[in-house]
Amino acid sequence: MAKRRLLYLIIYILPIVLIFLTLLIGRYPIPLSKMPEILMHPFASDKSAVPDVYTTIVWDIRMPRALLAALVGGALAVSGAAFQGLFRNPLVNSGMLGVSSGAGFGAALAILLFNRFSPQVYLFALAFGGLAVLLSYLVGRIYNTTPTVMLILGGVVISSIFSAATSYLKYVADPTNQLPAITFWLMGSFASASRHDLVIGLPPMLIGITGLVLIRWRINVLSMGDREAQTLGINANFEKLLAIAFATLSTAGAVCVSGTIGWVGLIIPHVGRMIVGNDNKILIPISTALGASFLVIVDNIARTITSGEIPIGILTSLVGGPFFIYLLKKTKGGNW
Amino acid sequence: MSSIAIEAKSISFAYGAKPVLSEVSFDVMQGEVFCIVGPNGCGKTTLLDCVLGLLKVNQGEVLVDQIPIKNFKPPQLAEKIAYVPQIHQRSFPYTIKEIVLMGRAHRTTLFTSPTVEDRDIALEALEMVGLADLADQPYTQVSGGQCQLVMIARALAQQPKIIIMDEPTAHLDFKNELLLLETVVDLVRDNGISVVMATHFPNHAYYFESNGIATRIALMSNQRFAEVGRPCEVLNEENIKKIYGINSKVLDCRFDQNNLIRQIVPLSIIKESGRDNQ
Repeated sequence: MAKRRLLYLIIYILPIVLIFLTLLIGRYPIPLSKMPEILMHPFASDKSAVPDVYTTIVWDIRMPRALLAALVGGALAVSGAAFQGLFRNPLVNSGMLGVSSGAGFGAALAILLFNRFSPQVYLFALAFGGLAVLLSYLVGRIYNTTPTVMLILGGVVISSIFSAATSYLKYVADPTNQLPAITFWLMGSFASASRHDLVIGLPPMLIGITGLVLIRWRINVLSMGDREAQTLGINANFEKLLAIAFATLSTAGAVCVSGTIGWVGLIIPHVGRMIVGNDNKILIPISTALGASFLVIVDNIARTITSGEIPIGILTSLVGGPFFIYLLKKTKGGNW
Repeated sequence: MSSIAIEAKSISFAYGAKPVLSEVSFDVMQGEVFCIVGPNGCGKTTLLDCVLGLLKVNQGEVLVDQIPIKNFKPPQLAEKIAYVPQIHQRSFPYTIKEIVLMGRAHRTTLFTSPTVEDRDIALEALEMVGLADLADQPYTQVSGGQCQLVMIARALAQQPKIIIMDEPTAHLDFKNELLLLETVVDLVRDNGISVVMATHFPNHAYYFESNGIATRIALMSNQRFAEVGRPCEVLNEENIKKIYGINSKVLDCRFDQNNLIRQIVPLSIIKESGRDNQ
């Protein structure tokens, strides 16, 4: 038991350690010895203790990016874990109810209507992501209640409608500047991450993650299916809606600042299951921490492995796939 | 006999235009086994769903402890009534302990999880069905019979007054069926729980009766109860013929001096004369 506790503690601390290491990694070398002073810089009275270039790189570039990657990773992983439990299906991910494809459409639309770096991109992504989930939910409610299979079906239908609409937007987009911007956005990236992104993405992601962490044990009960959850003393329809709302907030917040990053919301919860088992009481927070660590690591690879920058959405699959197979082999499925 | 645990007053239910229950009335006493027997599609599961509050009746009302079921919120109802499903669709490999702990859900609130005390209650429930040794096993890896016992343990963890079982012995082998019946007998005898059980095996009612449990059986057909009474009174060749259209024979077997085993055995299907002429 003590050994387990220690393992959990390590998993929870890992993202913080990784974020700190990220501050040191990059093309411009920053000496470790300067780190304490750089980190204390905003609070120090003597602003000339470290060169400006160090503080700019750490505080304006690497820190927001690392924090954002950690938040997005946590948000995608936790909502994926929640959806898998909610839908009693290990194959669903955080984009299940169409939030990713809806957000993708919103972003593409905003890029067409305004331009690449306008704040409308966030707004549209967030709004259409939410809209897509709402539509999926309404499709699922055709039978008055929300049977799981109808929700999944609704998600599939709405996702494909928004994907088709996005394809159309790409088709009519100006191929010299708009199309690359849309394509790049859809692949997902933290390349342009700034404090601005953090300010926009933080509230929805934080509310979503916190909400799911708070109701985490109820997801166990909801995963028994509507009938049984109801007879166990839970208002199944309401609590399912609440969980969907939190998961949507966190995913939409993530997607609107990073673009669509696949794989995290599917695979990280399973990695969590292999390590800690299926009890969502532990799985939900552990998945959040694992997702944060995973995306910080992958983003570091994305920005350092080549002279350019690889879109992280590509790398999550490239790194995540083999890693998952390795884990599967190592644990022989384990608790999973 | 003590108080009335469940009372159904002339309840009717229809899926759209298709009536499934027509003015069914019955009551279940505290500490009694109430078996519901009838052909496939006669409305047993719908009836149970109405009693569980999963379906809203179109007419009449269901009273639990003299209170109309519609006045209960889900956690309040779960405190009174627990449910053992016919087949539990297993999804993630939760440990048996985690599954049984979910029986405490009605004592938690949206943001809380079960307490240490709840864990003790769950373990006690597991001991009652004899599965305490398997507490840390994934419940996806145990047999169908054991899984059904896990579901009963989960129901017991709710500490209900009434347990509703929908064909609990379907898919169970010979021994596991007996194990389940014995568990039910213990629950009723030792804990005074009422059990409402839909079953395809009329002999289950005889089993409970010959084990000295207060038992009544309802023979259901055409959306209503044709007969309700003690098994020795209503479970006979004539009524089985009426409900199922089969010839049968009640067999008595006495062993250990006074211990009476009674079984009803199906013999042959009665050919309808009308159909023969066509």
